[in-house]
Amino acid sequence: MTFLNVWAVGFAGIAPVIVLLYLLKLKRRPIPVSTLLFWQRIFQENRRRAFFQKLRQLFSLLLHLLIFALILAALAHPTLDRQIREGASTVLILDTRARMQATEPDGQTRFAKAKVQAGNLVREASALRQMALMTADASARVVSPFTDDEKALRESLAHAAVTDAGGDLGRAIKLAGELLASRRGDRRIIVYTDRAPETKPAEVSAPVDFVAVGSTRDNLAITRFASRAVLNGPQTSEILLEVANFGRSTAKTNVELAYDGRLLDVKPLTIEPGGRTVQVFPTVPRPGNGSRGWLTARLDTTDALAADNVAYAVLPVDPPKRVLLMTKGNWFLEKLLGADQSVAFELLTPDSFSASVAAKFDVVLLDNFVPEGFDLAKSSANYFFIKQTPFNSADAPLDQPLISDLDTRDPVLRLVNLQNISLLHAAPLTVPKATDWTWRTPIRSFEHPLMITGERHGSSQRVAALALDIGDSDLPLRVAFPLLISSTLHWLAGEESAPILSRRAGETLPLGANESVRVKPETPWRKETGPTTPAVAREVFEPLTNGFYEMQTREGSRWLSVNTFDEAESDLRSASGAATSRLALPSVSLERLASWPLWQYLAAAALLLFALEWWLFHRRRTE
Amino acid sequence: METATAPLLFDSDFLAKLEQLFLLSKKLFRGAHRAERRSRQVGSSLEFADYRNYTLGDDLRSIDWNIYGRLDRLFIKLFEQEQDLDISFLLDASASMRWVPEKGGRISKFDQARRIAASLAYIGLANLDRVNVHYFASRLEEDLGLCRGKSQFHKVLEFLRNAPALEGETRFDACLRTFSQRMKRRGLVFVLSDLFDPNGFEGGLALLRHQQFEVHVIHILDPVEVRPEATGDLRLVESESGEAYEVTASEALLRRYHAEVDAFLRNAAAFCTEKGINYAQASTAVPFEDLVLRVLRDGRMIQ
Repeated sequence: MTFLNVWAVGFAGIAPVIVLLYLLKLKRRPIPVSTLLFWQRIFQENRRRAFFQKLRQLFSLLLHLLIFALILAALAHPTLDRQIREGASTVLILDTRARMQATEPDGQTRFAKAKVQAGNLVREASALRQMALMTADASARVVSPFTDDEKALRESLAHAAVTDAGGDLGRAIKLAGELLASRRGDRRIIVYTDRAPETKPAEVSAPVDFVAVGSTRDNLAITRFASRAVLNGPQTSEILLEVANFGRSTAKTNVELAYDGRLLDVKPLTIEPGGRTVQVFPTVPRPGNGSRGWLTARLDTTDALAADNVAYAVLPVDPPKRVLLMTKGNWFLEKLLGADQSVAFELLTPDSFSASVAAKFDVVLLDNFVPEGFDLAKSSANYFFIKQTPFNSADAPLDQPLISDLDTRDPVLRLVNLQNISLLHAAPLTVPKATDWTWRTPIRSFEHPLMITGERHGSSQRVAALALDIGDSDLPLRVAFPLLISSTLHWLAGEESAPILSRRAGETLPLGANESVRVKPETPWRKETGPTTPAVAREVFEPLTNGFYEMQTREGSRWLSVNTFDEAESDLRSASGAATSRLALPSVSLERLASWPLWQYLAAAALLLFALEWWLFHRRRTE
Repeated sequence: METATAPLLFDSDFLAKLEQLFLLSKKLFRGAHRAERRSRQVGSSLEFADYRNYTLGDDLRSIDWNIYGRLDRLFIKLFEQEQDLDISFLLDASASMRWVPEKGGRISKFDQARRIAASLAYIGLANLDRVNVHYFASRLEEDLGLCRGKSQFHKVLEFLRNAPALEGETRFDACLRTFSQRMKRRGLVFVLSDLFDPNGFEGGLALLRHQQFEVHVIHILDPVEVRPEATGDLRLVESESGEAYEVTASEALLRRYHAEVDAFLRNAAAFCTEKGINYAQASTAVPFEDLVLRVLRDGRMIQ
């Protein structure tokens, strides 16, 4: 026998209270009488039956304890192991992907239809036919474990909501198979979806039924919507918009582009069936102070799936990094920094170096120059040393060193390819011993580091040292040169990589130590109206609804746009292809169906005993 | 010892009705004074008593000449002597008599006893009998003293009005034994009590009867004592001893209680009948005027 509600055993602590109540003396109503003569005669007679009186009281106590034990046992929900072993187990998988938001000709969404059908099946849950409920979108979730409690299943079903995310049903079916693997008896997986996966996962042995909800529908969808900064125009951005027609006829519509809720542009679109069109909006002003940078594209159409008719993007908002170049003259570096629109640099000669001036810049680039008396521990600016560095050792320079190790995961080497670079000389570097810094050597020539980067603990101060003489190599002539310098400058300025501005619904976004995201999205049409301190996600964020999410980072607050952007979700033409095999619950014999759960027998016995005790009490049999 | 001061008021109509009544005595007692009640002594009343042979010295006026004419023998005609009678009222003044039920608004059994005693005393005084009142509980208290004539009624009332509240359990045996020893002359005795003596009332009454007293028992009870209705978990506190009993009064238990009370009343009546004692029950629920004029008359205590 197995007790499904083990917590009920905790109520056994009340039993001593019942015994205590019996031991406590009853508070009796005092009544003055003229004589006890007659009562004494009765009691003298009663004393002869005192033994039976005690037995009566004991019987009453035992009766109460028995009733209590029966109620306790009923609460514990006992189930015979044989029933569990031989009972049926069914996993209901509810497709909550974005395509389930599609409306059918009768006005109902596919998801609503799926919930109705699942609700009909949930009514058949019983001790011998336990069910579990899962949802499947970008990830599979068990919203209700195996239970025979119809009410709990219905509540879980009512709370299930469709998302804007895409996903693969196969993972949910595989998880359902794992849930069923430990259960005996008849097993079955029932999937409510508008499109069944092509193949069933091989490791799932339980039979899978697909309940098709939905029919073939035409749909027009925004499949791409992105912005990027224009390199030659730091104050402008360009927008890319792709619209696809997943219908059987030519679609004509207008697309409205809005910036922070204000209409920016409207373009008419005509798209052939199955075709797509790409639109570029070349000059969009970059956001200034006080603007959120929200960019929205909206198709002026009413089709089956509304979720993909709107797309969200965020314009980059980062201002150019301020760089101070200290050099006696380096044509490559000057040209490079001048061409990089993400950098605003100023040039100074080494003899005019001042620590106070350096502190005003995001990065100080020192070309073949180390300030006199430079102490890294006392400095506060971010320094990038080239050729001469504070970490140069007294050893002889390396002749024609070979680059043996490259840590491509290091942010300073993002997209940098240093293969076949010819170096004439390199200064030997020694990794400092300072323990309050984290040191890395992203570029090495065997045991000699050619580049050292350091990050002070608990501070944003960073330092980089490149032991190469740029002029003695062909690096400036390679694509890797601007990438290496730019990546290093941005890393020193506190920017790990290009900020994440957009995500697809259902994608997991790992968050750093000081990062968090408000879990409620906002749109120009739907402002968040929740509690004053909204819930935030930390460590990991998985958005399931399209919109703009406010993200807190070390650099401050910025916006993250989330879109569906999944052609599999927008293409509703394959809905009728869902496998609709005959739905059949695992078989349970009629004899077992007629039998009640054990707890109901216990509750009925407790009720009968309670009635007996009531009758005995009123007959003064157990007084 | 507390004193109870309950009003003892009688209107003139009621007293007039009482004057028409007479306390009955089956036995003849020797009186102390001439009065209106027959006695064992022969005397000069109009009531013929007997004949006896003439002896020298007898009053010639007493010779029945008609008999002499028929029988030729001299007989003296004897007449009854009408004398007074000693009437004693023994009032149970124990705590059980003063007990009053919580509900009902009735008078106590002791108040009822006092009213009955006052009424009967008035009847006795009106008939020139000698009346005395005694209180008893665990022992016999000092009495009123013999009173004679209606003029003494106020004295009786005053004694009844200032009745003491006696403590302790009722002791019929000891009290009535003391009474019989204290009374030199036999006569009529009215015992007004609830007869709640843990040691039994029978011994005391039997002693009185043995001592040639004519005894009338007026058994005073409250309806709640006979048919209690309180049910549930109760703590019964006895008024006399302060002893408490805890009971869970159910309908079944009350039925057994009723049976016990009924048996007690039957035994009391049977005992009195057996001993030649007049017995009457007087409930506090019955108005005492009705009780005196009807119940006691039916009980052959007054005429």
